[in-house]
Amino acid sequence: MRWRRETCTTLGAIAAIAIGVLALSATDGLAQAQKRATTKQAPQRPPAVAKEAPHTQIEEIKREQQPGAKESVQADVSARNVAVTSSFNGTEIVIFGAVDNSQQPSAESGYYDVLIVVEGVPARLVVRRKNNVAGLWLNTSSATFDLVPSYYAIASTRPIDEITTEEFRASHGVGFQNLRFTPAFGQAQALSTEDLKDFRQAIVRLKLKQGLYVQDQYSVAFIGKSLFRATIELPANVTVGPFETRVYLFRDEKLLSQYTVRLNLEREGLERHLHAFAFGYPTLYGLMTVAIAIAAGLAASAMFRKAAH
Amino acid sequence: MTFYLPVAEMSANVLVLLAMGGAVGFLSGLFGVGGGFLMTPLLIFSGIPPAVAVGTESAQIAASSVSGAFTQWRRKNVDLQLGLVLLAGGIIGSVFGVRLVGDLRRLGVFDFFVSICYVTFLGVIGTLMLIESINAMRRARAGGGAVSARRPGQHSWIHGLPLKLRFQRSKLYISAIPPFMLGLFVGLLAAIMGVGGGFIMVPAMIYLLRVPTNIVVGTSLFQIVFLTGATTVLHASYNQTVDVVLAALLMVGGVIGAQFGTVAGERLKAEQLRFLLAALVLMVGLRFAWQLVAPPTDLYSLSAAVGGA
Repeated sequence: MRWRRETCTTLGAIAAIAIGVLALSATDGLAQAQKRATTKQAPQRPPAVAKEAPHTQIEEIKREQQPGAKESVQADVSARNVAVTSSFNGTEIVIFGAVDNSQQPSAESGYYDVLIVVEGVPARLVVRRKNNVAGLWLNTSSATFDLVPSYYAIASTRPIDEITTEEFRASHGVGFQNLRFTPAFGQAQALSTEDLKDFRQAIVRLKLKQGLYVQDQYSVAFIGKSLFRATIELPANVTVGPFETRVYLFRDEKLLSQYTVRLNLEREGLERHLHAFAFGYPTLYGLMTVAIAIAAGLAASAMFRKAAH
Repeated sequence: MTFYLPVAEMSANVLVLLAMGGAVGFLSGLFGVGGGFLMTPLLIFSGIPPAVAVGTESAQIAASSVSGAFTQWRRKNVDLQLGLVLLAGGIIGSVFGVRLVGDLRRLGVFDFFVSICYVTFLGVIGTLMLIESINAMRRARAGGGAVSARRPGQHSWIHGLPLKLRFQRSKLYISAIPPFMLGLFVGLLAAIMGVGGGFIMVPAMIYLLRVPTNIVVGTSLFQIVFLTGATTVLHASYNQTVDVVLAALLMVGGVIGAQFGTVAGERLKAEQLRFLLAALVLMVGLRFAWQLVAPPTDLYSLSAAVGGA
C-alpha cells in the first residue's frame, strides 16, 4: 500500500514538471509566432539576392513603353523566415513572381514557361546498403557523399524536359539526375562506378520517399499576363538552414531571365534553446537532464513522506 | 498534437509517446520491473533512432527508479559498500559502452548490434523465466513449498578470490572482484541497450553473490539510479543522443501507467506474473529476431555523417 501511494505522488510531481515544461514551450512557441507575425511586415528582412542589376524606375517605365523590350522575372516567397518550433509539423511556402515586359496575351496562352528550383543546405550524407550475411541483414557497404541538398524541389509550368534543354539542366543542376553531389574523399571502402551510381540513385529514391525531394511538373500557374505562383511543401523532417529559390523564365527552351530568393528555416523558441544547449554544452545538458529526472523522483518521494504523516 | 523533438530531430505525436510511456509503465508496475528493456525496443520500433532511444531511456530509468531507491534507502535495505563496488564497475562499463555506441554508429552497424544484444539477452532470460515459472506453477499445483535460493553453508569458486571485503548489510565476506565485474558487465549493457540492468543484476546478486533478497532490491535500485544517471551524462556528452523532451513525455506516461499496473499486479499470483513477463520478454526478443532475418523493404538507408567521420 505504501508504495502505491508513493507512485501516486510521483505521478503528480513528474506530471506537474512535465506539464510545466510543455506549457513553457507552448507559450514560447506562441510568443515566437507573434514575433514572426510582427517581423513579417518589418523592413529588416534579409535582402533578396537578385542576379540582375536593379532597374531604376525610369528604365522600367521606358521598357514598358517598348513592346519589343527584353522580359525579366522577379519573385519572392511568402515567408523569408520560417520558424521551426516545438509544434513544427511541416509548412507550405508560396513562391510568387512577375514577368516584367510580359508579351503574353493571357494566363492560359502558355507563352512563357517558369521553372522554380528550391534547394536546402547541402550536407554530407552517408548512404548504406544492407546485405544478407549468414541469414542476417546488416549494413555492409556505405558511401559518403558531399554537397547533397538536404531538400530539393522542382516546380514548373510544364514537364522540365519540354521547357529546357539537356545542356541547361546539366549546367544549372536542374533535375534529380543533375544534382551535383560528389563522393567524399577518403571513403571507407573503394567503390566501383557501378556501386556509386546505385548509391546515388538510392539517395534520390529515399529522399523522394521522405518527401524531401519533390517534383511537381504543373504546379507553377500564371494568374494573368505577368503574375505567377507556386506552392512548395516543406515536410516536418526538413533540415533547418538557408534555402535558395531559383526562378527561371523560359520562352521556347530559351532562358530569358532568372532570379534568386533566399529563405531561411530557423529553430525558434524552447526548441532552439534545447537544441543549442544539447549540442553546444553536451555535458551540462546531460547533467541538467539527470537533475530534472532525479528532482522529479525525489520531489515525489518527499511529498509521499509528508502525505504519509 | 505533434511535438518536435529537439535532439531526435523529428516530430512525434505527443499522445502516442504518452500512451507508450503509459503502456510500459503499466507493465513495469504490473511485473515490478524497470521497463527499460520494453521501452527502448518500443521507441526503436516506432522510428526513434536507436542511439537516441538508448540515450534517452537512461534518463527515464533514472527518474523512475530514484523514488524507489530512496524508499529502500530509508528502510535500510541498501548495502552501501556493495552498491559502491557495483557502481565503480558500472561506471567504467558504461564509459566503454557509450564509446562503443559512438564507434558502432559511425560504422553504421549500431542498429544491428542492438538487435543482436536484445535477441540474445531477451531470448536467454525469457526462456529461463518461462521454464522457471512453469515449474513453479506445477509445484504450486502439486502443493510443494518454495525452494529457498539462499544456501548459506555452500561455498563456491567466488570464495577463493582475493581482495575480500566485508559487506555488512548483506552479511557477506567475499572478494570485491565478482561484484565489480558484475557492475562492469551491467554498465556495459546499460549503455548499449538503454536498460537499467536489473534483469541481470537481481538474479546475479541472488544466485551468484548470495545477497539476501531484501538487500538485493534496494542495492540494485541504488546502483541503477547512479548508473543510469552517469550513463545519461556520458551519452549526452559523447554521442549527443539524449532528448530531454522525449524523456519528459515518457516519464509522465510511465508514472501514470505504473499506478494502474501496480493495482492490476496485486490481483495476479507471482508465478502467473512471471509466466506473463517471460512471454512478453520472448515476444520482444522475437520481434528483434524478425527484424534481423526478414528481408528489409529497402536495402538502402540514409544517415547524416556522425562525428565528422
